[in-house]
Amino acid sequence: MAITGIGVVTPLGNDTATTWRALLSSRSGIAPIMNFDASGFPVRIAGEVKGFDPRTACPDRKFLKFANRFHGFALAAADEAIRDAGIRPASGTAARWGCAVGTGMMGVEFAELEETHRRFVENGRLAVDRLGAAGITAADPVRFCRSQGNAGLSLLLRHFGITGYATSVNTACASGGQAVGTAMKLVRRGIADFVLAGAFDSMVNPVGLSAFCLLGALSADNDTPERASRPFDRTRNGFVLAEGAGFLVLEEWNAACRRGARIYAELAGDGNSLSSYRITDSHPSGDGPIQAMRQALADAGARPEDVDYLNAHGTSTLMNDRSECVAVRTVLGRHADGIAASSTKSLMGHLVSGAGAVEAAICALAIHHGALPPNANLREPDPDCDLDFVRDHPLPRRVGIAISNSFGFGGSNNCLVLRNPEDVRP
Amino acid sequence: MKTKVLVTGEGAVCAAGWDPKEIWHTAESGRSVIAPIQQWDPTCWPAKLAGEIAEFNPRAFVEDRKLHKLLRRTDLFGLYAAAKAVEGAGLIVYRDTLDPPSTDAFNDRTAVYVGSSGANYQDQYEFFPLLTAAAGDLGAFGRELTATVNPMWLLRVLPNNVLCHIGIRYGFKGANACVFNHGLSGTLAVAEAAAALRAGEADRAVAVGHDAPVEPENILHYHALGLLAPDAVRPFDTGHSGSILGEGAAALVLETEPAARARDARILGEFLGSGCASEAQGLLAVREDGDGLVRAMLQALDDAGIAAADVGMIVVHGNGTPSSDVSEASALGRIFGSSPPPVTSFKWAFGHLLGAAGIMDAVLALTSLCQREVPGIATLRDIDPACAHLPVSSKAQPPRSDVALVLSRGFAGMDAALLFRAPYR
Repeated sequence: MAITGIGVVTPLGNDTATTWRALLSSRSGIAPIMNFDASGFPVRIAGEVKGFDPRTACPDRKFLKFANRFHGFALAAADEAIRDAGIRPASGTAARWGCAVGTGMMGVEFAELEETHRRFVENGRLAVDRLGAAGITAADPVRFCRSQGNAGLSLLLRHFGITGYATSVNTACASGGQAVGTAMKLVRRGIADFVLAGAFDSMVNPVGLSAFCLLGALSADNDTPERASRPFDRTRNGFVLAEGAGFLVLEEWNAACRRGARIYAELAGDGNSLSSYRITDSHPSGDGPIQAMRQALADAGARPEDVDYLNAHGTSTLMNDRSECVAVRTVLGRHADGIAASSTKSLMGHLVSGAGAVEAAICALAIHHGALPPNANLREPDPDCDLDFVRDHPLPRRVGIAISNSFGFGGSNNCLVLRNPEDVRP
Repeated sequence: MKTKVLVTGEGAVCAAGWDPKEIWHTAESGRSVIAPIQQWDPTCWPAKLAGEIAEFNPRAFVEDRKLHKLLRRTDLFGLYAAAKAVEGAGLIVYRDTLDPPSTDAFNDRTAVYVGSSGANYQDQYEFFPLLTAAAGDLGAFGRELTATVNPMWLLRVLPNNVLCHIGIRYGFKGANACVFNHGLSGTLAVAEAAAALRAGEADRAVAVGHDAPVEPENILHYHALGLLAPDAVRPFDTGHSGSILGEGAAALVLETEPAARARDARILGEFLGSGCASEAQGLLAVREDGDGLVRAMLQALDDAGIAAADVGMIVVHGNGTPSSDVSEASALGRIFGSSPPPVTSFKWAFGHLLGAAGIMDAVLALTSLCQREVPGIATLRDIDPACAHLPVSSKAQPPRSDVALVLSRGFAGMDAALLFRAPYR
């Protein structure tokens, strides 16, 4: 499976080149929240996408009315990926294009919730009679369409004219990795020649921010936003919520070679597991992530000693980072000391459903450019997180095999394996 | 040669009953359980009907009271159907006979695939009291947050709740996904689970679809779009005027043939193949020629390695909206010509279960094969001339072979097809 196109919209930049430059120069995308007045919240920082205009990628205003904020990110990132790949669905090929996406969970935007509240809530509850009496004057078809769980998928299919197998997954923070893995399997199963694969999310809104504040999962380092996300540092105190999208174009390897496509990397393996332990906690032994990583390596036909780079899930929460390191040590054995690792969440925060797809894109770029992005803010290494992290500056290194971890609330774990195209036997 | 995938467990719950046979018999007897909405008083509502599960009591679905505050209505249905399928398949009884290393391997090789439509307006209603307290001031909203909203709010509305709780309850740790694809969600959970088994990623999989779309805002939007019928779901009838939403869940346990044989499992059927295609014309648009459905059926037949003539019965989507019915009839004509096998649908009896609809139809198709009877569509009176070539009837028909085709359609112009074979030959 060849990765021939990449597109991202992240807190670091609204395209791949800008995001990659920011990663290599350790420029943080985390800042005080500007999208809404967060002054009363215990956490007032996030990784927001800045200066974004979906009309750059999609000038059709009528069409964009059906897109909420994260759908806009998806359209822009997918548009970049398709342009980058230099191939797009056409009348003869549309049915051989598939689409697999990881989607955010918040279909109803805050302004819409506020409107429902203003018009139809009494004493903190929905006044059902009043809603029913308003009848169709209370309904807004466009708003309904935007709120659907597969609304983002629908917009992408329509915008690019993709008519093959299409699916949308939501497994919390594992969604992006799962979508990319699913896409790979569609090509393997022979039901698609090309797949647009990616994920998008934004929970940087009053309800989304509230959700994680209530769980105490976020770093409240409001005065030092660029330092707040510090995966694997002894002083880490939670993750930083972020938003964005990442998309890849995947093609059957030989077909990509035949058309002379630029191949960033081979998407070589996918592994999925359930931790089946607790909803928000990872097992201290790494049980769960271990099986996902092993399965992904086996799927790719790679050995532990082949791994050069790990793009860690690395959320910067106390337990996740520790158990991820235990899992990596268990899977890679002595070779765990031979890899370089980083969590790019240190610079862009946690894109939730979008994270796995953006981080797969980063692995492909690391292979392509021979450079590993740093794990920023790692000043006091946690002795329980004793991997060899890329610190402060990017590390120039040829990468043969890169792996990307995504672990979600609810216990879904995903691991993707990417291989340097030079190492792929024709 | 593809690995044979067998069905070894099933579970289902909806307004028509608490297990597949009860639901099937309700439909077979010609009885619709669609009734006035009970969750609120629909007297002054423009849309009044739904297929709701009566006398809703959380403990009937999930015994453990501690879990109730972490689960939504839709999650309770999903967990109930999954438990029936897992326990009915005898997976846990078998696992208890294994030594510890084999138990770990069993868990690691058991996959869970869940599908749900994923659009729940009520998820955010817990923020209404806070919005009231804040009176339009976001600063106050932030300050009052922790005093007003349940700290576990996010865990209650997690989209992958059913997946996660099946895992925790049974200790399954294999491949998994949560599909969010409107009417195809449960269908694709089955398709992806079967694909994982064929690819050797797991030995067995629990596939679940669940949904609870009967909530006020949702009903109002469906009504405003003209998607709801005022009285009854009449697929392919001249009087078809829309669908009616229902709630529930269905689940299947799928197993590779070697895994099922190794534990001498009871075989309920065989999964033969799947197909999925999109029409890419927007969220609500449906092509008149049924192009997406044609391609989904061709893909499924190809995947199964059988011909259209081998299909002995079809459970169609049949949601009762004229555009879907007519395009579905057109698609069936293109695949089966003038002599399709007996065609039926079940939504007229208990409503459209959205994310659970396709997997519920799969469960009922397997029951129909076992009973050697394709139940009729009891609300059918005069067939729409555009659907006249379909062998639909208000009476039961015998299947023409031991193979059933199940069709699902959903928003975003999505179409899917599943093929199953009866356990008998």
